Amino acid sequence: MIKGKLRKLVKMELKKMILYPLIVFALALLVLAANYAITGSIVKEGIELKGGSVITLQGVNANPDELANTLKDKTGIDVKVERFTGITGETGIRVYIPAGADVDAVRAVLKELFPTVEPQTVVIGPTFGQMVKEQGIKAITYAFIAMAVVVFLFFRVPVPSLTVVFSALSDMVIAIALMDIFGIELSQATIAALLMLIGYSVDSNILLTTRLLKRKEDTIEDAYYSSLKTGFTMSTTTLGALISLWLFSTAQVIDDIASVLIFGLLADFMNTWILNAGVLRWYIAKKGGRK
Amino acid sequence: MKWKRFFLNPRILLLIIVLIGSIASLAARGLTFGLDISGGISITVRLEQPVDPDTMEQVRIALEQRLNALGVKDITIEPWGNQFVLVKVANVTEEEANQLLETIERQGVFYAEFEGVVFATGKDILSVGSVNYDPREGAWVVPFRLSREAAEKFAELAKGKAGYPVDMFLDPPVNSTIVVSKDIYNVMTSDTFTMAGDMTLPERIKKAFNIDIVVYENQSAENIAELAKGKRKVILMGVDRELYNQLKELGVNVELRTPSSNQDTADFIRSVLRLYGPYRVSAGLATGQPSTEVMISIGGSQTDVKARNDAQIVAVVLRSGSLPVKLSIERIDYVSPRLGEGFKRQVLVAGVAALLVVGLIVYLHYRRLRIALPVMFTSFSEVLIILGVAALIRWNLDLPSIAGIIAAIGTGVDQQIVITDELLGGEERKRIVKRSGVLKRMGRAFFIILASATTTIVAMSFLFKFFVGGLRGFAFTTILGVLIGILITRPAYGEMAKVLIGERR
Repeated sequence: MIKGKLRKLVKMELKKMILYPLIVFALALLVLAANYAITGSIVKEGIELKGGSVITLQGVNANPDELANTLKDKTGIDVKVERFTGITGETGIRVYIPAGADVDAVRAVLKELFPTVEPQTVVIGPTFGQMVKEQGIKAITYAFIAMAVVVFLFFRVPVPSLTVVFSALSDMVIAIALMDIFGIELSQATIAALLMLIGYSVDSNILLTTRLLKRKEDTIEDAYYSSLKTGFTMSTTTLGALISLWLFSTAQVIDDIASVLIFGLLADFMNTWILNAGVLRWYIAKKGGRK
Repeated sequence: MKWKRFFLNPRILLLIIVLIGSIASLAARGLTFGLDISGGISITVRLEQPVDPDTMEQVRIALEQRLNALGVKDITIEPWGNQFVLVKVANVTEEEANQLLETIERQGVFYAEFEGVVFATGKDILSVGSVNYDPREGAWVVPFRLSREAAEKFAELAKGKAGYPVDMFLDPPVNSTIVVSKDIYNVMTSDTFTMAGDMTLPERIKKAFNIDIVVYENQSAENIAELAKGKRKVILMGVDRELYNQLKELGVNVELRTPSSNQDTADFIRSVLRLYGPYRVSAGLATGQPSTEVMISIGGSQTDVKARNDAQIVAVVLRSGSLPVKLSIERIDYVSPRLGEGFKRQVLVAGVAALLVVGLIVYLHYRRLRIALPVMFTSFSEVLIILGVAALIRWNLDLPSIAGIIAAIGTGVDQQIVITDELLGGEERKRIVKRSGVLKRMGRAFFIILASATTTIVAMSFLFKFFVGGLRGFAFTTILGVLIGILITRPAYGEMAKVLIGERR
């Protein structure tokens, strides 16, 4: 059944294969632009980048809005409260406190409300956040350039290399757009996930490009179909692993990394197996190097 | 016979050897977990401006001296680059965590005392010169300048008292009662602390700081609480825990101090009293003539690292533990130890679940256990080897590091699928007839793997290089996992796959 669906892709028109992913890419850019217009940044920055504090209470089940109101009444601080649940049924709450507010006051109230729970606290200064952000942008930019160089060195042909680099870019843009839509914030963890995405994205693209350009014993359709199957297996196993990770953990770091990678992998499936494949098939057909 | 050849294959053999090594390393050293798992506090401190390594060392010593005052164990102070310092303390209570934060930002209080009289405090130390080696004295010296007033006071006090002890304190436990064992009391009153003077250490600190030393002779807790009335706190040294609990119940502000490993009794006493010295008054200073330019010398050869270190500590203490640059606390992460336990279990459950899910999906795709099982086995070996290496180099496994391991396993499985599919490729239509076909296919699979591994390693190296915070752990384990993958487990899986798929027919 699924394999039959994959067969359909082989028969798809090349023009559509290239066009559709580009439309998705454009839509993602639009989301980023809209977010930028509304909030002033392309993706919401978490407290790690903005500065501020989070107090996490594991094993607490409270109504987030009520708790926020109680805290506001007692301390006068505008806090944001969020509830999370792990698959094992453990619930907990996170209280976000803006930079410069009195964390201890909030903590004291929380202690009164939940005397048996030990809070986990993170406090981040705004200048530190700024530095983390700069470092993150630097790391992603350099990693991207390095990736592009490595890809060019491996293939030494411009069109396929450019497509690989473009898919990686599109993966990241779509992942960030989905972060905007699902309200996932940019943090150290999600920056790491975006970097990781470069690796995953290149993985599948290199597989496809190598198979199509170097496997000369099959027809182009067969080569595409067989790599499509491999790619499908790869993506589903990785997605399976990530989803189980996301389900089982309530640690924010791991949840964030898992969700961003899931977004990226979904985007990558499209960019590799539809966009890049379309471009490559068009490229090979144009060169006429294949029978 | 076929199996024997299989196990003697160098690639399989390498995997087996490395696996055994990893298990041995795990068994011998065990894993060390980061603070976000095992519980504790990590404080990121930022210096006002980037500093050179020498200044960084001064900052480290100053922080160490101040934080030691708290009697909290296992403090690690790691300079990060040239502008950040990471202070990590495992297993602290929230109260201790708050004290740590306060202490980092606060300046210490310095006292110089002679015969139970405080003759100088921090404001009397006008300047402290740099630590240097004086070959004539055969000692490391710390020169400093005293205020006129303090110098006169000291000259008067010390007249004709050469060889008497001078004590220096940074944040001593003023106005407290210290309950000590008989052994400790004996050392306190020994020549080490009395020198050629006529007052013992307990007498001097009683007079100067109102610190009472009480020898523990099985007095009841009530009795001790009575003695400590009006005191700020009670400190127990070398006394069993029972008394601590009883005093705590009585509502007494009490601290239990135990010596850290390889700390002798005299050093233990110094660390509790926050005493530096005592230093012997030289003949030149006992003449009754005030001198403002003085120095403290610490005997030892020029290559004596301990003497040099001690001298540096003295310099820091004289500066009231103040720092050469301004500090600000930039980030605080506090995880209670109990919470960490929960994380550890969760991560383990998530890891096992991920592995099973991967196995299941691979099985669903190929419908063959002889593919699914080796894939799972290879991934499992990879985890084991990464953990083995982590144990070997005592890498602190924090949550990002664990995420990195998972990411590495993710790419690992992908690559095994590439190998499998290259070998299975075209099978539906034509069998691979020639052995060269297998080799060619393997070659292609490894080209793909090498290209993607290179990009991952390059991307992650940037992360490792540029980040100050915890994400270095993520980068480190990812790189480690990918390297282990291309060097050890992937070639071994290739061999397994060849036997199970390629040559089966």
